[in-house]
Amino acid sequence: MDERPPDMFNRFRREAELTHGELWLRYFELGGMSTALELEAVLYGALWPTGHDHDVIAHALNERFVELGGNHPVPYSEGMEDAPEAP
Amino acid sequence: MTAQGDTVRPFGVSVDFGDHYTVLGVTGEVDLVTGPMVDAIVSSVIDGGHRAIVLDLARCDFLDARGLRSIASAIRRLAEVGAVLTVRSPSAMVGHLLETSGIGDLVHLEQERPVTGPEPSRTGPVTVRAPAGHLGPEEVARGSGTGGETVLPDVVRPLRRITAVPADDDVVDGALRLVVDLARATVGGADGVSVSLRRHGRLSTVAATDQTILDMDTDQYDTGEGPCVDASVEGRWFHAEALGDETRWPTFVPRARALGINAILSSPLLAGARPVGALNIYSRAAAAFTPQDRELAATFASGASAILTEAGAGVGSDELAGRLTEALEHRAVISQAQGVLMARHGLSAEAAYTVLLRSSIQTGTPLQEGARMVVAAARRPRASSGEGLGDSADG
Repeated sequence: MDERPPDMFNRFRREAELTHGELWLRYFELGGMSTALELEAVLYGALWPTGHDHDVIAHALNERFVELGGNHPVPYSEGMEDAPEAP
Repeated sequence: MTAQGDTVRPFGVSVDFGDHYTVLGVTGEVDLVTGPMVDAIVSSVIDGGHRAIVLDLARCDFLDARGLRSIASAIRRLAEVGAVLTVRSPSAMVGHLLETSGIGDLVHLEQERPVTGPEPSRTGPVTVRAPAGHLGPEEVARGSGTGGETVLPDVVRPLRRITAVPADDDVVDGALRLVVDLARATVGGADGVSVSLRRHGRLSTVAATDQTILDMDTDQYDTGEGPCVDASVEGRWFHAEALGDETRWPTFVPRARALGINAILSSPLLAGARPVGALNIYSRAAAAFTPQDRELAATFASGASAILTEAGAGVGSDELAGRLTEALEHRAVISQAQGVLMARHGLSAEAAYTVLLRSSIQTGTPLQEGARMVVAAARRPRASSGEGLGDSADG
C-alpha cells in the first residue's frame, strides 16, 4: 500500500471523469463521513484516510468505473482484501 | 429587479459592424447575470480589432452595479488601445446612473437615436430559443429578412442572431450559444465551434455551429478520448495542430479526419476552479490556428467560464438539491441495512458495512442495491420465531 502514489485517488477520479463535488456526493451517498474539503485532501495525498474511509472512497470510484463498463480498478484497503468471508 | 417601463424586454445584444462604427445594441437589463455576456461580447469585438465602438443603450431598461462594471471595463479595455467608448441614447434613469457614478465623464455621450426603423420593430436580431445551436428554417428566414440594415460579410452573419434569452435555466445555454457564434465569427481558422459541458457526470454539447461539429463532439464522448474530453477533465487547453501527425487519440482521430477535420483547439471551461467543459474550435485546415487565434480562444473560454462561474454552473441548484435528496435516501438505506446486520449478527457498524461492501464487490451490484435487499428481507415476516428483526444477536 505504501508504494501507491499519494495522489492515487485523484488520478482515478480524473480517469472516472468525476469532479471533486461529484465524487464527494457519491462518497457521501455511500455513507462517507468526511467533508468535501477533507476528501479533497485525501485525494491529493495530504490526508491519510482510515482503512474504512479508504474503502468507501475506493468503492465510490469503483462503482463509477462499473457504470462506465469497467471493473474495480481502485484497490481497497489491506484489511478489506484479506478479511474472511462475511457471514 | 424590474425595468421602469411597463414591459421588461428580454435581454439581448445586437452587433452591427458599420463602415465607421461597431454598434453594440443592448436590450433589457444588464445585471449580475447578463453583465458577463456583455463583457464577453465587448472583449471579443475589441479583440477583433474594432476600436470605434458605440454602446447603444436606447433599449437598455436597467443597469445595476454589475452593469456599470461592464461599462467601466469596456472603457478600460478601450483606453488600453487609445480609444474612447461612445454611449448612445441612455434612458433618463441610466443616464443619471452614468452621471452619478462618474462614468459619464469617461465616455462620449450621444443622445440622438439611430435611424434604423420604427421603434416597435426594433426587437433586435432574431431571438434564439432553438436547442443547441440549431436555427429552424423559419428563424433563419426571419433573420435574413429584416431589411434596411447594412449587408454584412459572411463571417459576421452569425452575429446577427446572437440575442440570448435569459429565461431562468436558459441563461447559461443562451450565453454559451452566444460565445460559440462569436468564436466562430472571430477566430480566423475556425470552421466550426462548440461548447461541451459536463452534466449529470457526462459530457454533452450545449451549443454547436453545425451538425458536423456536433458529430465531432459526439465521437469524442463515444470514444472517451480527444482534445475536448481531455480539456474538460484536465482543465487545461489541448491543441491538435495537425491530426495527420496526431498520436494521442488513436480511436477518435480517424473519425475526425473522415469528417474532414484537421485541426482542433480545445480550451477548458471552469466554474470557479473546477473544470466543467470545453470550448472546442475545429478547422478543416491543418495548422489553422495562429497564436492570435489561440489567444482569442482563451479569451472566449475565460468569458464562458465567467458566465458559468457566476451562474454557479455545473451544478444547477435544483439539480444539486435533487441529487442531495437522493444521496440522503441512499445513505439512509445503507444505515438501515447496517442496523439489520448488526442486530442479526452482532457486528460493529464498520463490520456490517464491510459485509455490504464485500457483497457489492463480489456481485458487481451497487452497494446501495444490496443494502436495499437486506432491508427488504428484514421487513418480510419470518415464519420461524426467534430471529426476527430487532432480535439482538445470539451469535
